[in-house]
Amino acid sequence: MKKVVSLLMVLMLLVGCASFAAAEEEIVLNVWSFTNELEGMIAKYYAPSHPNVKINYVIYPTDGGEYTSKVDNIMASAAASDEAPDIFTLEAAFVKKYVNSSVTADLAKVGITEADTASAIPVMKQIGTNTATGELKGLSWQATPGALMYRASLAEKYLGVKTPEEFQALVADWDLFMETAALVNEASEGATKMVVGAGDIWNAFNFGREQGWVVDGKLVIDDILYDYLDLAVELEQDDLSNKGNAWSEAWFLGMKTDTTLCFFLPTWGLHYTLKPNCGLTTNDTMSDEEMKAACEADGGTYGDWRMVAGPVGYSWGGTWIGANAAKVEAASDAKKAAIKDFILFFTMSEEFLYQYALDSGDFVGNNAIVDKIIAEGGTPNPFLGGQDHYSIFAEAANLANGAIMTDYDEKMNSLWSDYVTTPYSKMEKDLDTCIADFKAQVTAQFPELVVE
Amino acid sequence: MTKKTSAISPKRKRKSISYDKYGYFFVAPFFIVFLIFQLYPIFFTFRTSLTDAAGWEKILDNKIIGFGNFAKLFDFGTEISNFFWRSLGNTVIMWVFNFIPQIGMALILASWFTDTRMRLKFQGGFKVMIFMPNIITAATIGILFMSLFNYPVAPVNTLLQQFGLSNAPIEFMRSTPIARGLVSFIQFWMWYGNTMIIMIAGILGISPSLFEAALVDGCSSRQTFWKITLPLIKPILLYNLVTSLVGGLTMFDIPHLMTQGQPDYTTNTVARFIYQQGFETPNNFNIASAASVILFGIIVVCSLILSSIMKDRSDKKVRRMGK
Repeated sequence: MKKVVSLLMVLMLLVGCASFAAAEEEIVLNVWSFTNELEGMIAKYYAPSHPNVKINYVIYPTDGGEYTSKVDNIMASAAASDEAPDIFTLEAAFVKKYVNSSVTADLAKVGITEADTASAIPVMKQIGTNTATGELKGLSWQATPGALMYRASLAEKYLGVKTPEEFQALVADWDLFMETAALVNEASEGATKMVVGAGDIWNAFNFGREQGWVVDGKLVIDDILYDYLDLAVELEQDDLSNKGNAWSEAWFLGMKTDTTLCFFLPTWGLHYTLKPNCGLTTNDTMSDEEMKAACEADGGTYGDWRMVAGPVGYSWGGTWIGANAAKVEAASDAKKAAIKDFILFFTMSEEFLYQYALDSGDFVGNNAIVDKIIAEGGTPNPFLGGQDHYSIFAEAANLANGAIMTDYDEKMNSLWSDYVTTPYSKMEKDLDTCIADFKAQVTAQFPELVVE
Repeated sequence: MTKKTSAISPKRKRKSISYDKYGYFFVAPFFIVFLIFQLYPIFFTFRTSLTDAAGWEKILDNKIIGFGNFAKLFDFGTEISNFFWRSLGNTVIMWVFNFIPQIGMALILASWFTDTRMRLKFQGGFKVMIFMPNIITAATIGILFMSLFNYPVAPVNTLLQQFGLSNAPIEFMRSTPIARGLVSFIQFWMWYGNTMIIMIAGILGISPSLFEAALVDGCSSRQTFWKITLPLIKPILLYNLVTSLVGGLTMFDIPHLMTQGQPDYTTNTVARFIYQQGFETPNNFNIASAASVILFGIIVVCSLILSSIMKDRSDKKVRRMGK
């Protein structure tokens, strides 16, 4: 008997607690995500109006690729099983990998029509579309367009600029941008630089490309990237930048002090990066009033920021909702309807998006709602001196071209930065060597690509 | 057995029989976990190295193609084999520059701490301080050093400028010797305390009568160290060398977090090569597995060579001493 008991205990230790789904008449949707963001939205907005849908929400963090490896494994081994997700969220870093594969369902299969998604912001829809087949596979509740944030007091001091319109005129294209950078450096005698570094403007600049990294299985280096390199050399060699990288100490210092004039940041960057770092003693748990008080007491930049569209419309980041193709294939009509309803509720319904935008200040991914919010007076933001960030982001969102996004982007961007931009702008190597190094890395990493 | 014990009371009999097997139950969790999470993955890696599993959709749905992946890594002159062998070279360089000071420092400290003539005070405190870096995870230390040596604004640069040692911020991580040196230094700094503790244990295992005899015969400290301590802790040295080699060749976290293989691929280790191939887009599991198998082979061969060299000598010595 003791033997049996001890064996059982060992087994229980190993097996842990397995959960058994209750057999009820309700529809069960497995939702996988990498943060609790959507979970909170489900609890607050979705659950009250959908009592017959039970959501099993599972979170795996993206750190160290845990989320993607969990998704990859279940899709490869048991895509149609009960524990596999019906719906899963996709981050900008890997959204293309999944929408360009067969694991995500064509949303037309659950009955989402072109008309349903007509008001979605185009760039988010383009990114959620399979590049080869044109099927729409992912939709987003938010859009993450980027803009150019600048310091009003520094712009007035060194450039004599009083309004955002005047500043936009000085940065309307990259040539003007560089001229302004030289002016700022001269006028401030090197105390203030235009941007932190070339890497910081990459996320905006690369949206000026006409072609993505890979077209028809071939590596494409768009001509505009050579312009980017010229610009990077100028920023580095002519002392026009702080020579720091994004997310470095120098980058955050530029947000708190007068060392940097401009930052290229998207919607989330404004709220979650720039704002909490605007003062020497501010942090992300503070309310707006507390931040303002902290900046007045200890030094900081709260309220001194303004926003303009900048030289190029771009998008940086974002989260998409996709459906599991295998489970959609096997689903009953009622379940398909529930999946459709779930996706449309979060991405298209005015009922949710409007309230969510008001509650969170997030920039929603639907032009109809965005227009409505702007028409009602927008979102005057005290951090931006009362400027309405919604209308500027809306402009950038509709300019950005999502067609250049490929599955390869994340890796290509980092290889380009490590083996071309950095060594070339620091004059460590000549351009041909850098490009050859980059191509060698691409060949080793992506054996199936044609590299010429 | 039962016939003999039948005379003893039934109570005692039951006890003596039932206790024996409980040991298996207690070791079972380890073996089950080992089989599932270590042995099976090892075989899986061997198998994957022979397949065409390139791409995340093929991790389970693939077919065996033979030794093609190994051929790619041994096809010198192609990019992929080039990067693999360069990574191995980087790893060996960084390991050597960590191991030599590490073993030297550990030996010196261990002999000081065990020297009966020196009688160092506050030994416990020193040992704790020396061992401390080993308690912190490598990831934390990697990030810490990255922020310390960042550019252009970071503590080390600020310090150098304030003491007037440099006029402009220095870009440490763009210099190959500095970047490699820092990786080696961190490995050294993290592990010399651990090595020292093992050395101390080894030295304390030597019979004190040998040291006493040496003292009586008028040996200097230096002679005692070279003629008695060092030869007798050779097995411990070998153990350190092999474990450090295995750890060094699979070095991953520090370079991955601190330098990301930069500048110009000179701090990219084999483990990082495997990680990039297998776990970054586009998931070339086959190449990553083949590289792992080659690395495994290299480690096995090196360990065998090392142990045979050291073992033979100590065996001869034992035999000689026996005569």
